[in-house]
Amino acid sequence: MSYIDWIVLISTLLLIVLYGIYKSRGSRNIDGFLLANQSLPWYHVGLSVMATQASAITFLSAPGQAYTDGMRFVQFYFGLPVAMVVLCITFVPIFHRLKVYTAYEFLENRFDLKTRALTAFLFLLQRGLSTGITIYAPSIILSTILGLDIRATTLFIGFLVIIYTVYGGTKAVSYTHMLQMGIIFMGMFVAGYMVVHLLPEQVTFVDALKLAGKSGRLNVVDWNFDLSNRYNVWSGLIGGFFLALSYFGTDQSQVGRYLSAKSVSESRLGLIMNGLVKIPMQFLILLVGALVFVFYLFHSAPLQFNPNERNKILQSEHAAEYLLLEKNYNELSIEKGRQAEHLVSAMHTGTEQQVEIHRQALNDAQHKADNIRKASKELMMKSDASSDTDDSNYVFLTFVTSYLPKGLIGLLIAIIFLASMGSTASGLNSLASTTVVDIYKRLIYKNGSDHHYLSASRWSTIGWGVFCMIVALFANRLGNLIEAVNILGSLFYGTILGIFLVAFYFKQIKGQVVFFAALIAEALVIMSYIFDLTAFLWLNVIGCALVIMISFMLKPFIKPRPDQG
Amino acid sequence: MSITEEKTPVFKSWSRWYLLVLAALVLSIVGFYLFTLYFS
Repeated sequence: MSYIDWIVLISTLLLIVLYGIYKSRGSRNIDGFLLANQSLPWYHVGLSVMATQASAITFLSAPGQAYTDGMRFVQFYFGLPVAMVVLCITFVPIFHRLKVYTAYEFLENRFDLKTRALTAFLFLLQRGLSTGITIYAPSIILSTILGLDIRATTLFIGFLVIIYTVYGGTKAVSYTHMLQMGIIFMGMFVAGYMVVHLLPEQVTFVDALKLAGKSGRLNVVDWNFDLSNRYNVWSGLIGGFFLALSYFGTDQSQVGRYLSAKSVSESRLGLIMNGLVKIPMQFLILLVGALVFVFYLFHSAPLQFNPNERNKILQSEHAAEYLLLEKNYNELSIEKGRQAEHLVSAMHTGTEQQVEIHRQALNDAQHKADNIRKASKELMMKSDASSDTDDSNYVFLTFVTSYLPKGLIGLLIAIIFLASMGSTASGLNSLASTTVVDIYKRLIYKNGSDHHYLSASRWSTIGWGVFCMIVALFANRLGNLIEAVNILGSLFYGTILGIFLVAFYFKQIKGQVVFFAALIAEALVIMSYIFDLTAFLWLNVIGCALVIMISFMLKPFIKPRPDQG
Repeated sequence: MSITEEKTPVFKSWSRWYLLVLAALVLSIVGFYLFTLYFS
């Protein structure tokens, strides 16, 4: 990276940290630290909700996923707008009316202390691990591109976030989110423009879309109902709805965002903004990945995008075999480029039959290239069974650092850092809120002063920051990171959502019953995942349905304690 | 101000807002479907 890129990167990161500290000065009580004194307008809430969800993983993995697998991942978000509507109708007014700090406080009002503690514990477990992964994602950038120790980069990002989150709490998190999203939107636009700009002169934007489409990379909508298919309209609408409802309705990292709004209306508008903007935004990010695929039709793509894994195999006894595969792959790249040019010419001036002939030739070349990539991955696994052969997280980064001009590289790397910092900050803030409000204040030290709990919140933020950094150091074996986070969420969110839905809609079910139902449901969800019974998105539905069904099954056998309403 | 007293911004009721969100979703899915068909 050039010194211009370093200046852009460091000044952008410093700007965010200083802005967060400046805007949050005066957060000197627990209300200010955890809820920003409930003073934020709707656009703050909306951007903060979006920044919390859009981690660095979004910008690293999503384009890589579109490159390798097409754009079908966007269907994952189809249930989100429906979930926003349900949240606005049910969750938001109840949380505001009860004036809670965390979503789990509501569960003690409705059920009992142990159900609140169980749900808070499941959240802390899931969110602590997920936040660790969100720190790890940008750490691989510096370690891979600049050759720095991944431990040093993990610690650097972690400490940077801890500084302003500990100082300013929710207010700092929210204000930095605003600025981060502004820079991120600008960066997305620039990246998309640059990919098209760097295509050969005769290839227009529409040609690029046609090439991506004919190569199966614009497969946005798949109507086939298949439980084992991760992304189709139905898994997105149903599974995605339950995941989004659970994530935005019961995950404190999101609930904390809209609890800081100054009124119910502002919370609702913020969530509606998310419901309207999220799908187009994700579509555009994936489209950038599909365009990067088209770019690599005309330029030689690396056989393995992760340089560390490439270096590893080149130092093994299988180096000669790998180099032969690489040679064949490069020859095919030239062939692909030639066929892509023929296809573009045919699309401009040829007949439909000529288009079809060149499309078939391009797809054949692509198929052969895919087979070589598969063979190279098998060779890597043969050489070292612990190899991380999934290089989709490196695709976009490789493009950025290899082809973008000086200055823009720094900006796009800064964007990835900012995205990671945004979601990490929300994660740490929510982990601290839940630890202090639901565990420490409720179970350990009940009668402390406001100053004591403010101090506890700050120490808790630091403690969780350290925990997440430790998780980040062990996150390199999780394959595609965006899926790893979503799988982790799906393991716990269904059960948590089930508890909340019983709380909202089934008044006859009491705390003792839902507590045991949740324990059984969670065990069954984990077993479903271990035995690979279904695609992970459906675990949200299964977990939620199991809690409700088991609650009704247990109800006749478990009598509520006299103190339970 | 209590929840029931808060005035709905822009539209007459929140139901209109919810309808807008769901309509945008349906339009997105239909638009993406046509996009997939056109470019494949």
